[in-house]
Amino acid sequence: MHKEVLSHWDQPIYPLIALVLFLVCFSFYFYYTMKKSNKKYYEKSSYIVLEDGVKHE
Amino acid sequence: MSSANVNRTGRLETYSYDDQIVRMFVIATIIWGAVAMLVGVTIAFQLATWKMNFGLQWITFGRLRPLHTNAAIFAFCGNAIFAGIYYSHQRLLKARMFNDVLSRVHFWGWQLIIVAAALTLPFGITRGKEYAELEWPITHTITIIWVVFAVNFFGTLFRRRERHIYVAIWFYIATIVTVAVLHIVNGLSLPVTATKSYSIYSGVQDALVQWWYGHNAVAFFLTTPFLGLMYYFVPKMANRPVYSYRLSIIHFWSLVFIYIWAGPHHLLYTSLPEWAQTLGMIFSVALVAPSWGGMINGLLTLRGVWNKVRTEPQMKMIALALTFYGMSTFEGPLMSIKSINSIAHFTDWVPGHVHSGTIGWNYMLTAGILYYLVTKLWNTEMYSKKLANAQFWTATIGLVLYYVSMVTAGITQSLMWRAIDPATGKLVYPNFIETVVKIIPMYWVRAFGGTLVLLSFLMMAYNLWKTMQKGSVGKEQVYEAYALDESSIEKGADQHRKLEGLPMVFTVLSLIAILVGTAIELAPSMLSTNYVTKISTVKPYTPLELLGRDVYIREGCYLCHSQQVRPMAHEVLRYGKTSEAGEFIYDHPFQWGSKRTGPDLARVGGKYPNMWHYRHMINPRDVTPQSIMPNYKWLVENTLVTATLQSKMKAMRTLGVPYSDEDIANGVSIAGAQAKVITEDLMKSGVPAEVGDKELVALIAYLQRIGVDYGSVK
Repeated sequence: MHKEVLSHWDQPIYPLIALVLFLVCFSFYFYYTMKKSNKKYYEKSSYIVLEDGVKHE
Repeated sequence: MSSANVNRTGRLETYSYDDQIVRMFVIATIIWGAVAMLVGVTIAFQLATWKMNFGLQWITFGRLRPLHTNAAIFAFCGNAIFAGIYYSHQRLLKARMFNDVLSRVHFWGWQLIIVAAALTLPFGITRGKEYAELEWPITHTITIIWVVFAVNFFGTLFRRRERHIYVAIWFYIATIVTVAVLHIVNGLSLPVTATKSYSIYSGVQDALVQWWYGHNAVAFFLTTPFLGLMYYFVPKMANRPVYSYRLSIIHFWSLVFIYIWAGPHHLLYTSLPEWAQTLGMIFSVALVAPSWGGMINGLLTLRGVWNKVRTEPQMKMIALALTFYGMSTFEGPLMSIKSINSIAHFTDWVPGHVHSGTIGWNYMLTAGILYYLVTKLWNTEMYSKKLANAQFWTATIGLVLYYVSMVTAGITQSLMWRAIDPATGKLVYPNFIETVVKIIPMYWVRAFGGTLVLLSFLMMAYNLWKTMQKGSVGKEQVYEAYALDESSIEKGADQHRKLEGLPMVFTVLSLIAILVGTAIELAPSMLSTNYVTKISTVKPYTPLELLGRDVYIREGCYLCHSQQVRPMAHEVLRYGKTSEAGEFIYDHPFQWGSKRTGPDLARVGGKYPNMWHYRHMINPRDVTPQSIMPNYKWLVENTLVTATLQSKMKAMRTLGVPYSDEDIANGVSIAGAQAKVITEDLMKSGVPAEVGDKELVALIAYLQRIGVDYGSVK
């Protein structure tokens, strides 16, 4: 049955589905990332890279 | 300066980093990088002059080229990625790697795979699929070692002392997940012997899976892990945080989602369905946005420390790497536009583009990171800045020579291929060799440029070796950090922010992001009954042709000859009818190729007499003066192996090729009968009868069959 379904599937619809999916996801993470209230968290995270850990004496 | 852990409380724990494994991968990177570039320079000279093949089958171009690409991608870049990941992963998570034994199994397993590749590819043991040539026992070993790496990597994530998973690790996660999917799906083969297997896919489906894999090998082996390394090492070396952490998040999700779709741009104007080609093109063009987002983020991280680019050679290398990343991620989408691709595809422009990425981006970034790692891990200063600066300029000049010569050669040849005299409607350059001779000077320039790049690498190897000698490894340093407890959870954080602390959920979402494009592009070819329109005249290969096809694959003929006539006036005039998907349904694997150093062979069947092929394979210049193709004398010395013929036919039948029981039972005698007909024809021109059981006869049988069922002879 799946073969029949695929055989009659209008293939140009695929890119449209993908585009919609991408735009929805993009809007979601763009909104959360750029939200003002998140700024301080991300600023903090960007410093993780500069810390190797405190040396134990 | 802000700190990532200012509000942490709770239990303090002590730990140390496993830096020995990083040192091991650093040394392996240097060794394999030199080998990869040496082989690359060798094949560059082989293209400039066929004499550099030395008449030896093991070092002929078709066998060394896969060795070069595998060594550059998986040995050099692979070890560089692992070195960088093992160093940064531990520090970003404030935890030692999950298990030291797994780290060693990963290291030695990976080196074993590389050695196995070096021992099999020169012997022609290949699956005949670009960048996925390694035969099934090695492919299976890669899977096991990759799982070992993944267990060790994710195990460390669970033992971390840092709640937030830094963006570099996201890129590592996407790499681990996607490479596993790519490797397994494209690697599915049916083994015949320990050294031979057939791809389970055929023709257009195999082409689609292969280039979905091939393009994403570039994306998820040469790009995402290096972007992860960039997000760690560039801020580290600049001693300042990344320009925009928020941009890095948008960069990550957009890149991972879009990249996976771009594979079909390798198949524009082929027999692939039009909608899939358009899809590949659109997503390739869209890739510019996230790629440049990452490049700009990397470059702007250097703001305020540009003086270091002037004084520190490793910073120069990083800046150049980011510049080349920007250039090649602009050029790639440009080349994916159909009208431009019609000029660029099958020409030397493509290797020019590839090397601007691998040398400019991967080698330069790796060089910068290696200098950083060696000085840190051996607790010393760089041995010679002068030498590092000399390395930088030698590599840059070499790369510019390489790139300019290849783009010039590619455009020149493409324009010659397509030149049609408006008065007569005929090709201006009907003889393919005219277009080859024209670009040979460019091949010499490329070989010289490549030599400079190799020389630069050797300078670095010496510099790093002397730096290691100057320093000392010392004892493992003990660090302390707070255990991962409630105090590390951010109160009132948003959804995505929470997600950044949940590695498994994050991994699953990354997997979904890459599976969307994969499913939409690949599933119809695997499940739909009307994906390929069958052609009733197309029949399976005869037993002798099947054996001849294996010789064709073994010698890597597909690396210089395509089997795909594109729907363009000049191609139809030069070669014949446009290719159709139905022609290739019995081709396991497909052999469309990606480069035309020699002419297309899709319509070669019946074009020349058997004797022409015989003379051509022994010495191509006997029939095509000025040809740059190597001699294949061993094909008249090697006896054709028929012992595995039945197994091969059975395997093909399992894959859907309609061989009957009778065909299989009589395979050897049918092959013998066909060989006899060809041999008798050759004997009329004075060829000795002894040639009848040699490999060349089988190869001639295959070449004479290509395109015939589709009506190329008519």
